Amino acid sequence: MAATTETVRRVKIRPNYDHVAWKWMRYSALLLIPLVWFHVILQDVIVGVHAMDLNYVAERWANVAWRIYDAALLGFAMAHGINGVRQVANDFIKGERARVVVSWLLFIFWLVITGIGAVALVAGVRQNFPLN
Amino acid sequence: MSTLKTTLTGYTGYRGREGHYAFLLHRLTGLGTVLFLAIHVVDIALVYIYPEGFGDVLKLYQSTLFGIGEIGLVFCVFFHGINGLRIAYFDMFKPGGWEIAKQRNSTRITLIGTLILWLPATFFMLRNILIHNFGLFGG
Repeated sequence: MAATTETVRRVKIRPNYDHVAWKWMRYSALLLIPLVWFHVILQDVIVGVHAMDLNYVAERWANVAWRIYDAALLGFAMAHGINGVRQVANDFIKGERARVVVSWLLFIFWLVITGIGAVALVAGVRQNFPLN
Repeated sequence: MSTLKTTLTGYTGYRGREGHYAFLLHRLTGLGTVLFLAIHVVDIALVYIYPEGFGDVLKLYQSTLFGIGEIGLVFCVFFHGINGLRIAYFDMFKPGGWEIAKQRNSTRITLIGTLILWLPATFFMLRNILIHNFGLFGG
């Protein structure tokens, strides 16, 4: 009986953009489950929208830990969501050019929304002086 | 345009039952959540950009219509999370789970898990709406 030999050749493939994006969908997903679930249960179920006003946000953001928490939410959720939209859109768009255009539009949309959120998160609640 | 039709026909025409429904629900709940998220970031940013208008936005959120939407949103968040865990688990540890019969079972477990989280949350959110918008339970 002829002996067979098996050679395992390991090839390092340079990950492309979609490979990295896919990995980050997983990483952000694992982070978002505790982050988003806790946020939703706290704000929608325990506190409830009826108990909220400008003061509620100001008091919450007076604690820097909540701002960091919200920054993590903003960063990971928005990126995860927009990349998800891109994946769905690629299901419907076949042309390479159209895909590039849609990807860029989504990227700009992500940048604008995240920018707006980041500005508010850093600047905080704008209070009119003198305070009453 | 034909691509749109082909994809939509595939989305609706494929009769894969539970595994297929889980795929569709995952997309719908994801799109629903990200749509709300984009609006939500902007409305919270009003506390800095236009604090005078923040109260009006909150009034909108406190309306019954938005309250029902909020209950739907919470379903989206819970389902998307649990189904995402199911997908990641099968991908990384148990590729055999993608088998059709096993998909059926795991999709049902995903839905039951979603309901276990969602129904109590719905109870409290509905109670909030009834108290504040309808004056029930001593509101």
